[in-house]
Amino acid sequence: MPDATTLSGIEHVPGVPKPDAILTAHGVLRQFGGLTAVDVEHFEVQRHTITALIGPNGAGKSTFFNLLTGFDTSQDGTGTFDGRELRGMSSAQVARAGMVRTFQLTKALEGMSVLENMRLGGQDQPGENFFRAFVAPSWRTRERELTEQAMDLLARFKLDTKAKDSAGSLSGGQRKLLEMARALMTKPTMVMLDEPMAGVNPALTESLLDHIVQLKNEGMTVLFVEHDMHMVRRISDWVAVMAQGKLIAEGPPNTVMANPAVQDAYLGAHHDTDLSEDKS
Amino acid sequence: MISRLDKRFVRAAILLLVLCAGFVVASLVMGSPAAAAEVAPLVTTPSTGTLLVQQIINGLAFGVLLALASVGLSLIYGTTGVSNFAHGEQVALGAVLCYFFATTEPVTIPLIPVEMSFGWPLPLAAAAAIILAGGTGWLQDKFLWNPLRKRRVAVLQQMIVSIGLSLALLNLLQWWIGGERLRVTNTIGTRYTFGDFYIDRQTIISVIIATIALVAVSLFLLKTRRGRATRAISDNPALASASGIRVDGIIRLVWVMAMALAALGGILLALYENGFSYDSGGRLLLLMFAAVTLGGLGQAFGALVGSIVIGLVTEVSTVFINPDMKYAAALAILIVVLLVRPQGILGKSERVG
Amino acid sequence: MGDLLTDVAMQAFAPATAAFVLAAIGLNYHFGLTGLLNMGQAGFMLLGMYGFAISIREGLPLWLAVLVAMGAAVLFGLLLGWPTLRLRGDYLAIVTIAAAEILRYGMRSQTFVSVTGGAVGVPGNLFKWAFENLSPFPSQRVTIWIFTMHGTKSTSWWLVVVAWTLVALLSLMFWRLSKSPWGRVLKGIREDEDAVRSLGKNVYWYKMQALIIGGVIGALAGIVWALGSAAQSDAMGRMTTFWIWTMLLLGGAATVFGPILGSILFWVGLALIKGLARLYIPQDVLPTTAIEPFSLVLVGVGLILLVVFRPQGILGNKKELAFHA
Repeated sequence: MPDATTLSGIEHVPGVPKPDAILTAHGVLRQFGGLTAVDVEHFEVQRHTITALIGPNGAGKSTFFNLLTGFDTSQDGTGTFDGRELRGMSSAQVARAGMVRTFQLTKALEGMSVLENMRLGGQDQPGENFFRAFVAPSWRTRERELTEQAMDLLARFKLDTKAKDSAGSLSGGQRKLLEMARALMTKPTMVMLDEPMAGVNPALTESLLDHIVQLKNEGMTVLFVEHDMHMVRRISDWVAVMAQGKLIAEGPPNTVMANPAVQDAYLGAHHDTDLSEDKS
Repeated sequence: MISRLDKRFVRAAILLLVLCAGFVVASLVMGSPAAAAEVAPLVTTPSTGTLLVQQIINGLAFGVLLALASVGLSLIYGTTGVSNFAHGEQVALGAVLCYFFATTEPVTIPLIPVEMSFGWPLPLAAAAAIILAGGTGWLQDKFLWNPLRKRRVAVLQQMIVSIGLSLALLNLLQWWIGGERLRVTNTIGTRYTFGDFYIDRQTIISVIIATIALVAVSLFLLKTRRGRATRAISDNPALASASGIRVDGIIRLVWVMAMALAALGGILLALYENGFSYDSGGRLLLLMFAAVTLGGLGQAFGALVGSIVIGLVTEVSTVFINPDMKYAAALAILIVVLLVRPQGILGKSERVG
Repeated sequence: MGDLLTDVAMQAFAPATAAFVLAAIGLNYHFGLTGLLNMGQAGFMLLGMYGFAISIREGLPLWLAVLVAMGAAVLFGLLLGWPTLRLRGDYLAIVTIAAAEILRYGMRSQTFVSVTGGAVGVPGNLFKWAFENLSPFPSQRVTIWIFTMHGTKSTSWWLVVVAWTLVALLSLMFWRLSKSPWGRVLKGIREDEDAVRSLGKNVYWYKMQALIIGGVIGALAGIVWALGSAAQSDAMGRMTTFWIWTMLLLGGAATVFGPILGSILFWVGLALIKGLARLYIPQDVLPTTAIEPFSLVLVGVGLILLVVFRPQGILGNKKELAFHA
């Protein structure tokens, strides 16, 4: 069940400040030629919550997501993550700062084994430096530590038996889990999930939802972009809605979905999204 | 989107026609045919201004011929995504085939120990060469490129296949005609001089033919159904296929056209340069890539614009630097373009990285 | 026939073969590990060749000349990589060929003839001596088992020993690095750059490292080549780069022994074809002058078949390929 206690009492207005924001964005503008894809005045994400970013197709969610994670650069705007200025940070720097992302089209590195995928996510491995790579003793210890960390995570995601297998031999759902596990190797403070339910078969959704909630329980903050409203309703503490590049609503899931502006945005653009009460 | 491109193309085509008409008029009205023994550099040191204008003339001529050779490269890239590294050899093939039919010297075909001699008039030999070259395009697509596409072979892998093809073709041509420089026609060209400037009759004819061919290609792309389909495929292959266009058939046609145009380009270039060798085309490959990239990869009309620019840069640069570096100048332009505006002059601003 | 077999067998360990192994090892860092389509490896070889020869000619000691050659490769790599490493695959291929050709035109041009010797290059007698002076072999033709080569000059036993020792050392280095975390990052980049970025690694800088290291090894290959042959630019055109690619793909990209196997098979195979053609195909079907191009036609066809049917080559692993549909 979503836990909205830290956010109770906050106005349900787009761009509302949060008591303890881990991520903020201000005046973000992204244009492609003559088209404005993103124009967000202000946005804040509360620490230790699960926030959903939703909106009809073409609303600019993915673009905004890419901008926040450093995979795209805006024409204008500033932002902070965990107190640090985001502007000018490359995607790799953002990841090192503690904000890790996953991809809608899962990027399991198929030529490598599952375990190697995981080790690649490891941080502070001196062997990744060209000169130190020659001196095996300088990185063997860290490699052992990373392997241990990897196996623990793999066990948690029930992939430990597949550790030595090539990542290409995993099923689609297993690759999703691998990508999430690999992201956790970076010991992030914030996890950004890009349509985590995309292409996932229904049998896997429950376990995936559990894993995401578990992230929050371990002290991480989660932001995800999604189309799957049931998922949004099930696990998010807070929902932000975008339409036509702008933030049009914020609030707990039920409030937001009942918001007429939100319904308009969806009905106008995307007829088959089911905003109705979750019957399950 | 499409109508905006149309206007630019029409303008480019008209500009080209006007330039060429200007050449012809100027040479006929002001020039006096002077028999030239060979293309020797001017004995008296001309002023930089004179040299500059002469090189601009040469550059425009070369650019038009280069455009003919490289428009096929652009069409292939646009419709299939393959950078065809063998295109240079296809250009040389045109000259080789034309020579094969036109020359009165006995010729042989590799592995066949029989000497034959054709001695056809140049236009007939050229036509035969172009038809055969078009045939190689048909064969290539039917037995190599189409099967590769069907097997979903990665575009970069296909690029390396074209590298293998380039290797094989280059050496095949060397095997066929040997290493020396040959001439497609033995007639000594007349040189028209007007004031301090000159232009060879062969150049004028080549440029005119090339322009006609380029205009024909433009009309094809703009006016005919198949031409529009070609541009649609270049723009958005999935959408084109979904809207009922028979993509395979169009691509086959593109290959035939591209190879035929390359061959024609090769023949005209051989006339322009008064000779060719087995590697004449290969030497031009990078210039063609430069032209196509500068104009916008996949934009056929971009190849035109880019070629003129590259032609001008190549020839005009010799006023300032040693002629043996002139290709380097054009290649430097290529690199600069890729840094500043990777989509080229006419290209769309899509991700190139 | 016996002579033919001896000549062909000699190709297996000839210094030129070793030079190409080195060039292929360099390319292995670029393409095998990182997926970079470097079509300008001949350019790095050119820099090595001229950097070394010119330095010796100008009086620098041997070790410094080698450093100069390597330094030139580093500079070229930085200059080349800075704008191009952000470009997509086929763009990178075109730019690297263009850059290598610009280098070649430059080295060949009359403009710089006082430095580079123009089309003639740097004459062998002006630089080979520095290397040959170190030879422990006698300065005469020496026969070891069935093979006869000069002990010291040009293509010599001394060069064979040095070249293949270099091959062994650099293959070992490749092995170590490809198995290291550094190698792992490169392999990740080969598969999917964005995934690697999302894990906090500076992809651009890693690609640059791969480009430079592979380029420096290419420069060493150029030195070995020049010592056995000549410091002259005509041998280092885009066809040479294509041959290196053929050898690497044949042996197996991303493997330790791929470059060695590929280069040896290439040169031995080429010599065999040429030798057999000379012996058994009548002159009117295939004149002597046509044997070389004929054999290279087969190489070109071979490359096509290789890339289509077995892109991982002989030793390669299909899963580790850098080609993605």
